[in-house]
Amino acid sequence: MSRPWPLLAGSLALCIGLPLALAGAPFAAYIVTGAFLQLLFAAGMNLLSGYTGITPLSFAGITGISAYLCVGLVMRAGWSFWAAWPVATLVAAFVGVLLGLPALRLRGFYFVLSSLVVQTVLTLAFTAFASLTNGDTGISQIPPPSSPFVAGGTLGGTGLDLLIALVGWAGVVISWRLAGSGFGRRLVAVREDPELAETLGVDVVFCKLAAFFISSLYAAAGGPLMAVFVGFISPRSFDLLASLNIWLMVAFGGQGSIAGPLIGTLILAPLPSFLLGYYQVKDIIYGLLIITVTVAMPGGIHGWISNRMRPRLP
Amino acid sequence: MTALLEARGLSRRYGGVHALRDLTVTQHRGEALGMIGPNGSGKSSFVNAVTGNIRLDTGSVIFDGTVISGRPPHVAMRAGLTRGYQAVRVFATRPVADNLILAGLPHHSDADRLLHDADVADILAWLDLAPLLERLAGALTLFEQRRLELAMRLLAKPKLIMLDEPVGGLSPVEVRAMMVLLRELRARCDIFIIEHTMHVIRALADRVIVMVGGEKIADAPPEEVLRDRRVIEQYLGVSDA
Repeated sequence: MSRPWPLLAGSLALCIGLPLALAGAPFAAYIVTGAFLQLLFAAGMNLLSGYTGITPLSFAGITGISAYLCVGLVMRAGWSFWAAWPVATLVAAFVGVLLGLPALRLRGFYFVLSSLVVQTVLTLAFTAFASLTNGDTGISQIPPPSSPFVAGGTLGGTGLDLLIALVGWAGVVISWRLAGSGFGRRLVAVREDPELAETLGVDVVFCKLAAFFISSLYAAAGGPLMAVFVGFISPRSFDLLASLNIWLMVAFGGQGSIAGPLIGTLILAPLPSFLLGYYQVKDIIYGLLIITVTVAMPGGIHGWISNRMRPRLP
Repeated sequence: MTALLEARGLSRRYGGVHALRDLTVTQHRGEALGMIGPNGSGKSSFVNAVTGNIRLDTGSVIFDGTVISGRPPHVAMRAGLTRGYQAVRVFATRPVADNLILAGLPHHSDADRLLHDADVADILAWLDLAPLLERLAGALTLFEQRRLELAMRLLAKPKLIMLDEPVGGLSPVEVRAMMVLLRELRARCDIFIIEHTMHVIRALADRVIVMVGGEKIADAPPEEVLRDRRVIEQYLGVSDA
């Protein structure tokens, strides 16, 4: 993109304007802010699954580690949210890199399987260490962050909506800058053919680990935000289905493009809110979508559209 | 002449099979080195071992003053050593232009202007790739893919390029065209060529190493090697002369 500034300014205005406009409509604001949070997750997942070709089904587990850690620091150790958030994010991102180490040896489907096991173990750990996580009951009545502007005040409602919208926007913008950079193109080379990439001078090990770190930062940064936004966390918030849902938004929209996860999130993130009374139906719809995407639309909506716009090859 | 590549005492075993057995190879600057031998004699294993694609049991490799043995392939590459593959290796699902951009990444900071770089344009013109930029690499003919592979490697301005049967699978007309290109390639960088046809090696290499069972049985200019009884027996079959 040669002149990105109008688009950047426009989208920033939208991210600020939308929460403000919905200040009087809590339900709509809840859906929109939830979508912004998913946008952040989708952008992070896309860097790994779309650009690097590594699909981490342990993604939501990283979010969980960060969320539990931040909530623990705030509610037990009395930290300020603003100190606990970055600390929890960094710690969880490093854990994400450790959990990504198998990707140096396992390719494609085999890494997906190993990350599925990691995710399952993390979910079990969230349940098992009940003294820290309150087990299946979860932790409720998580206090909102203190207000950075008013002494003694709290950042709730529209203020928190704004914060999450801005973080989501920044996440997408950063992923767009990364994807267009030399680093982003190296990731694509690693995805297409790791051995060839190495022969061409790409440090494949470094690229994979860096991609894991950045993607885990996304997963981890969203955890504490999710905790204070919903006010409640439990192992179910960070289970395999949560990871799959994020992957689905990326894959349904179109992996390996910036527009893809945006499209996928816009369509899928609000869906559960419209199906509140039919919770099981949501999982069936998601399941059908996963099958449709993998079988019929490997490029997602974005890939499907751009395929039709491109002239056919001879 | 000084040594550009010094591989000493390379060994690699797979179970009971010696892919490489105490193999020592030196290539001098400005020299075109060839390697011949029957299938399974360790030619490709040698290239894989030098570039770091397979691990060595013993031995050391020094390229242009840098120890590259025991390091990943990108280290060899950054020292100026690159390679082609016996089965041509390009990013098949991407257009030719993307392939060049991905290949040029570690060496050009501005990927978008890469294709307009004078050096790059010169390589593309030489290999007649300019008309193919929009085509998918996987849809090219083998000869076109080999030229693309060559261009991708040359973007790094290597000092040595190791080619594994660069004329393999080409039609007779293409073989002749490729041999012209390979002779011209010597003006750009030094070459190491694996072949199992003697006439290609004779036309391109200043010196030939003959491999059998992971070992070097001869190391001399092509004319001398062809007179070597052991080579004739082992590689060309026992002659009736």
